[in-house]
Amino acid sequence: MDRLAAVAERIAGRSGRLEKIELASAYLRALDDEDLRRALHFLSGKPFGPRDPRRLAVGQVSLREAVIAASGWDAETVRLSIREVGDVGEAIGLLMWGRTEERALSLAEAESLYAELARRRRAADKEELLRECFLRYRPLTLKYFVKVITGDLRIGLQEKMLEEAAAAACGVTAEAMRQAADRAGDLAEAALAARRGQLEQISVCLFHPADFMLARPIASAREVPDPENWLVEDKYDGIRAQAHVAGGKVVLFSRGLADVTAAFPDLEAALERLPGSLVLDGEIVAWREGRVLPFGALQQRLARRAVPLFLPLEAPAAYVAYDLLLRDDRELMERPIEERRAELERLLAGCRPPLLLAPQREAFSVEDLERLFQEARARGNEGLVLKRRGSRYEAGRRGGAWLKWKRPLATLDVVITAAEQGHGKRAPLLSDYTFAVRSGDRFVNVGKAYSGLTDEEIRELTQRLRALAVGRAGPVLIVRPEIVLEVAFDGVQKSSRHESGYALRFPRIVRWRRDKRPEDADDLDRVRQIYETQIPSRA
Amino acid sequence: MRVEFTGQGIYLADLDLWLDPREPRPRAWISHAHRDHAGCVHGEVYATAETLAFYRLRHGDALAGSALREVPYGQTWELAGARLAAYPAAHVLGAAQLLVEWRGRRLLYTGDIKLRPPLCGRATEIVQAERLIVESTFGLPIFHFLTREQARERIVAFARQALEDGRRPVLLAHELGRAQEVAHVLCQAGVPVAVHSAAARYLPSYAAAGFPAPGWLEWTGDAPPEAAIIVPPRLRACLALRGLRLRIAYVSGWAALDNARARTGAEELIPYSDHADFEELLELVEAIGPQEVDVVHGYTDAFARILTLRGKLARAPERPRPVGDNG
Repeated sequence: MDRLAAVAERIAGRSGRLEKIELASAYLRALDDEDLRRALHFLSGKPFGPRDPRRLAVGQVSLREAVIAASGWDAETVRLSIREVGDVGEAIGLLMWGRTEERALSLAEAESLYAELARRRRAADKEELLRECFLRYRPLTLKYFVKVITGDLRIGLQEKMLEEAAAAACGVTAEAMRQAADRAGDLAEAALAARRGQLEQISVCLFHPADFMLARPIASAREVPDPENWLVEDKYDGIRAQAHVAGGKVVLFSRGLADVTAAFPDLEAALERLPGSLVLDGEIVAWREGRVLPFGALQQRLARRAVPLFLPLEAPAAYVAYDLLLRDDRELMERPIEERRAELERLLAGCRPPLLLAPQREAFSVEDLERLFQEARARGNEGLVLKRRGSRYEAGRRGGAWLKWKRPLATLDVVITAAEQGHGKRAPLLSDYTFAVRSGDRFVNVGKAYSGLTDEEIRELTQRLRALAVGRAGPVLIVRPEIVLEVAFDGVQKSSRHESGYALRFPRIVRWRRDKRPEDADDLDRVRQIYETQIPSRA
Repeated sequence: MRVEFTGQGIYLADLDLWLDPREPRPRAWISHAHRDHAGCVHGEVYATAETLAFYRLRHGDALAGSALREVPYGQTWELAGARLAAYPAAHVLGAAQLLVEWRGRRLLYTGDIKLRPPLCGRATEIVQAERLIVESTFGLPIFHFLTREQARERIVAFARQALEDGRRPVLLAHELGRAQEVAHVLCQAGVPVAVHSAAARYLPSYAAAGFPAPGWLEWTGDAPPEAAIIVPPRLRACLALRGLRLRIAYVSGWAALDNARARTGAEELIPYSDHADFEELLELVEAIGPQEVDVVHGYTDAFARILTLRGKLARAPERPRPVGDNG
């Protein structure tokens, strides 16, 4: 762990992508198999593998209590220090400076400490173990030991770069490593297979959930420059689920990879009649008389542990299948979407509710997309999902081969109250904005967004915001509320994070309203009104 | 002695003397030449010879009506019945602490101060006093800085490695103090340097004080020569040059925190400062041994509370000002 910390520190100190990958791969190459597995988990900010059910359940409060106990600094000094540093792991390393036994910590020992943390149930017991750790190991090691607990190393080594580093360290191509990692659902497993020369043998496992491919949100059809290159499906308002079927056994996994089969005996019965072994991707929806019902109708089902099969069900469910990942031991994720679709259509030919095949359509112009969108809305669906022709199934990724287009609820005019620097090429610019609505003569925050403006606009905004700065909280620049943005969003949630009591879901910037002054911004009543009116559409 | 903390400077009413006032005043003590301490023209100014030289460089003819009183280190002078003396503070060239003895009590105003010996300039002298006014720019236990030996090694190794990798090394360093220290250690190590004009103007004074940067070039912001480039952080926009492969280091107390990367665009963080780090501040207060401490600049509330918890009579009399770039 000491070495991992030193390497992570060097990776943080280089901004070039290739330099970072080179530093990581040089480190990984020298590790034995067990340490390689641990290092890949730790470098991706996880104490255990993605399929490991253990959870540390260590929050910021426990970390703070433990460092107060270990360092002897008072609670206020510790709170301020963490705020100024902006990262609790880094702050703990700095607060323990010169106060530890500086003992060495191996990756294996770190892993067993995480296991022990997961095993202890009471917060006080976890804090006691953390306190002992903080007093024992080197400050720089503690920094990264804690970053693994909080889940993000913040060294600019993205998942894709770590995959490339692992590929270089194991002597395979980045593409082969990435595909195997997707299939295995765990980069470490793929890397170990690569070392044994068995990369090709990794496949999707029946009854082990694979990660779902995710769609990137867009706000309008104009964001699709080439409509002819996309296949179009309705976006359903339901529960995303993977169906694993073989030999009369059915398991439905939801996002978060939980087994939800017990809530849907009707779907289980329909799916178990399918021939052979297969893994489907699709959506569980509430369904009556050929129409999708609002999502809320399903939630009461999930709330119950088991649903009796022969009771009249108030909310009949259906499974709308739209992808096929495995068929009779044939791995299909790497095959182009058209081929997967053809197999899926053959498999589900003539199927009846509650088993459905998601209709797929084509578009050749922005106008086509807009028409399809209106039709989907008329059918009671949320909008469209666009799937790039020729694309493979990219498990666990929001890579842009799938796009989702939902009708924004409305737009709000909001005022920027704070700004932060972005990552990557936008690093020197203020590209993350916290924004607020009016409440009396004050402004209260309702969300944060970091996309939707052009680079040129961001550059200009950065200058304006620096001139409006009134203070700083760690990396966050507090600004005088002057600049008005129009933001779109998917909904309004109650939130204790913001003083307003509300937070926008998935906000994105539509445009910079140079024509508006802060007093023209929307107010809290408007947000409250949107919150209240959106409930009936969901329930 | 009456001490008033006004937000525009510290006022010693019995002597009609202002300490580092931020607005024009009849009579002022200027602890060192940074803009936030020496930004105004006053009627009568007491300061060390080096500080006065920088002060003249900055204000030029505007000083025609001012009386500039040069104060040698360690020598006592009299003012309105008090005995005053300046002692080295190691912060930047010319920086001084001010000791005021009045009616048998000693008041010490540190100005900006560093306890460990600096790369350039005099080491801080410890002066004992019953009452202390101390700065706390880095008054939280998260700030740990390199010693001058470690800093010299890091600065030189960074520049050499960058040149070896085919990158142009850039060192972001405050224009008065750090920039000259960086230029001095790089030139001593035989690494060619180009210093931004805003910092280059102070190099002759450093050379005259025995800290030369032999062979330095001035950089005016156009195509830079084959050398390590020294640029003040506030002017880093001038680095937006096309086609140059740069590697940027940030030499500052603020470089102790990783968030400095996002703020400055630097890859390498070299936490070396002309201020005391947290441990030095504690050590300094212990050594001065005051009965009463006023904390000014930076994390005043936090540092005053830490001193209070350690049994000192300490307070933060002013509202904290926003933290700047001159750490």
